Amino acid sequence: MKKKRLARLAVALTSALSAGALLAACSANGGPSASAASGGTAVKGGTITYAAEQEPPCLYGGWLQEAYIDRNILDSLVTEADNGSIEPWLATSWKESSDHLTYTFTLKPGVKFTDGTALNATAIVDNFNYWEKGGNSTAQVSDPYFKKAVALDATHVEVELNQPYQQLLTMLSQGYFGILSPKSLTRSTQAQCDDPIGSGAFEVKKWVHGQELILLRNPGYTSWPATAQHKGPALVNEVDWKFLSDPTERYAALTTGEANIMYDVPTQDWKNAESSYQLTQYITPGKPVSLYMNTAQGPFTDTQVRQAFAYGANRQAAVETAFRGVIPYEGNPSVSKATPDYDASIASAYAYNPAKAGQLLNQAGYTGRDKAGYRTKNGKELDVKLAYPAGSVVTDEGATLLQILQQQWKQIGFNVTLVPETQAETFSGAFSTPSSYDAQPWYWTSPSPAILWIVWRPSTKSDPNGSNSSFYNNTQLGNIINAANTATSTTTAAKDYDQAQQIIQNEAAAVGLYDQTMSIAAAKNLHDVWLEKSQGEPVFEDAYLTK
Amino acid sequence: MTAVSEATVPVASRPPSARHGVRTARRIVVKIVTSVVVLLAAASVTFFSQFLVPGSRAATILNEQTGRTEQYTPAQLAPVNHEFGFDKPLLVQYLNYIGGLFRGNLGTSFTQHRPVTQIIGAELLPTLILTVAALAAAWVIALAMILLTARRGRFVSALGSTWEALTASLPTYWVGAVLLVVFAVEIRIFPVIGGTSVLGTVLPVLTLAIPLAGFLGQVTRDEFEKVLAEPFITTARTRGMGDTAVRLVHALRHAVLPAITLSGWALGALISGAVIAENLFGRPGVGQVLVTAVNTRDIPTVSGVVLVVAAVYIIANLLVDLTYTLIDPRLRET
Repeated sequence: MKKKRLARLAVALTSALSAGALLAACSANGGPSASAASGGTAVKGGTITYAAEQEPPCLYGGWLQEAYIDRNILDSLVTEADNGSIEPWLATSWKESSDHLTYTFTLKPGVKFTDGTALNATAIVDNFNYWEKGGNSTAQVSDPYFKKAVALDATHVEVELNQPYQQLLTMLSQGYFGILSPKSLTRSTQAQCDDPIGSGAFEVKKWVHGQELILLRNPGYTSWPATAQHKGPALVNEVDWKFLSDPTERYAALTTGEANIMYDVPTQDWKNAESSYQLTQYITPGKPVSLYMNTAQGPFTDTQVRQAFAYGANRQAAVETAFRGVIPYEGNPSVSKATPDYDASIASAYAYNPAKAGQLLNQAGYTGRDKAGYRTKNGKELDVKLAYPAGSVVTDEGATLLQILQQQWKQIGFNVTLVPETQAETFSGAFSTPSSYDAQPWYWTSPSPAILWIVWRPSTKSDPNGSNSSFYNNTQLGNIINAANTATSTTTAAKDYDQAQQIIQNEAAAVGLYDQTMSIAAAKNLHDVWLEKSQGEPVFEDAYLTK
Repeated sequence: MTAVSEATVPVASRPPSARHGVRTARRIVVKIVTSVVVLLAAASVTFFSQFLVPGSRAATILNEQTGRTEQYTPAQLAPVNHEFGFDKPLLVQYLNYIGGLFRGNLGTSFTQHRPVTQIIGAELLPTLILTVAALAAAWVIALAMILLTARRGRFVSALGSTWEALTASLPTYWVGAVLLVVFAVEIRIFPVIGGTSVLGTVLPVLTLAIPLAGFLGQVTRDEFEKVLAEPFITTARTRGMGDTAVRLVHALRHAVLPAITLSGWALGALISGAVIAENLFGRPGVGQVLVTAVNTRDIPTVSGVVLVVAAVYIIANLLVDLTYTLIDPRLRET
């Protein structure tokens, strides 16, 4: 055994360049010690060590990584079940007025925040006001039709809208809309960052910056959602939320049993993780990772050139190669396959067809070829500057995908330059103007097709839309999405959302690449950690360990 | 940096004169003043460099908070500009910043909303432990290799210098990943998630120490072999001194000087390079703080870390100068 191990190690050391491959090679037949036989006896209490990835600068805010944590500390009004239905949480029931402009929520009585304050209608109204004032960056875009929230009595809240908005409840199910204690809201930003106070199954015990966040069980927990797998406070005492940015380390920690569960399994370890652990992949609803095409300036102002770009590379095969078959291809550029009202039929448009791409380029006037083989129009080369946010959005594997595509686009005459953006450049807005790129991949998570309004709402002088990164101002498209958002019947809404997806695809205002995914792998002795539907937040209140 | 004097000066020490005392005091004052100037220069460079990167600071802060990447209208930016004092004239901002430094105030992080001193303070000790231990370990490994292999016959010598050339050129991340897989996953001696525990510090220290040891060894080996061929070594041997004693007492003393010079540089480089070991072994530290702050353009934190690293460089070089005088008695007289 020892000899075999050494031989294996020698092979790994000499052949493997990447550390990840090394780890995969070593753990492939070593077998994890942590995986106890399932169905063992349940341990009372205990600590779950979660090998998470990114440490947010602040525990409360509009980032997904913050929502992951907040879901375990804060309760929301409603939650989304796996089948997409909206289920009770802090609100036990709700009524929609006949004009669809008012929602009246009935709150679960007797709920207390962990600081002792009562969770009543006034507290809910305080939260709505805080979000709208900018305390929750996601509120204004998630609910563009919000008018006001009013406390009717201790357990009844009324939310008034300017227009009907059937997506309201789905949007409110995101972790960003967790309810904070009114006392928590009035504290300094720093206090709010370090210790958001809610009524959830856990509360913040200690945050060791750069290392870990310790969540402590709330013994007085009474407000579990309808989707919970058990009724009562959390089963474990603590969750040790470790911030381990290196994927090799996270997987190694799971292998040795130092962590019970890990975030985002590296694709090279996928096969091994499938057999050794409980592996769950979550496909994020909302806008998938697709290329925004600059329709305001440069070669992509011409629809035919955009379509040629879509036809000109075998995106599906490239995605499978770059991500080792782990992350699915997404041909629908506007919503991912996990989004309600997704149209699968339009995802198959623009299947790889270099001949068709060539034809379209000819029609667009790019008939010449220069010495390097790139197409030209009136002597001008067909240049595309493809900028991508490296690291945070487009991983190393994502960058590999773009390189594969770059080679294929070269065959049909596009000279694609790949420009990696640093995170600092990205957030400075350096790549947000029509003159800074021709194409740029991005995703936007959202549990609802209302994401279409956020991304594609036409920009006007008085109300610019900075999220419309294709600079695609199509009034007809805007009207259709708005009609869908404000429709009073779900069937009409679905039809309109579908039409919007078709317009975006037909016009090639964006080009599909792959779905935004996340995954967790849990040791076999950890049970009932589940991913919430709207954003894939890991939920620990039902989880327990077995011996 | 003090240069090694080639001139032969009598080795016997003389009693220090009054004039010598004044000279020493003056030298110390000059050193302190230049150190402060260097620190201020570092602070100023980082302060002004934030204006060289594209986009406004307020837009970055807004984008960080919302997870977006947009540009904003002046009206949208105004409240943020006001909150962080970006609406004040540049000179006022600069003077406020420098003034704050003298009061020990490094500002407040744009993203964490905590004082920078608090952010760095909590992470400085683990990094100092890591880097100082790595430097010490690198010296132990380098010296052991040299004492054991230099001028021990062609094969052994070649083995030593090959080891040094190899380790000096290994990428730190690779060294760390191999150590992690071998000693934490396969043979489970050390933890994967090291944290700040003693056992958990071993692998991060070795990750940084092994490539550095190769580098220090390469520098020292040449000098060491040259010294062993010197006539005074032969003299020592003829006095009946044993080989080990000759190597330790006579040859090493001469040979380590260049490597000591490099140690000052190495300590600074280790601090800024610590992030690789910190990330791989889940260890808190200034390296991680710096990388995150640079990524999020958290200027006050970046400046704070730059100042700390600059201070470490300065202190390390002062120590190097001091060590020099201890090892090379000729310098005490100059």
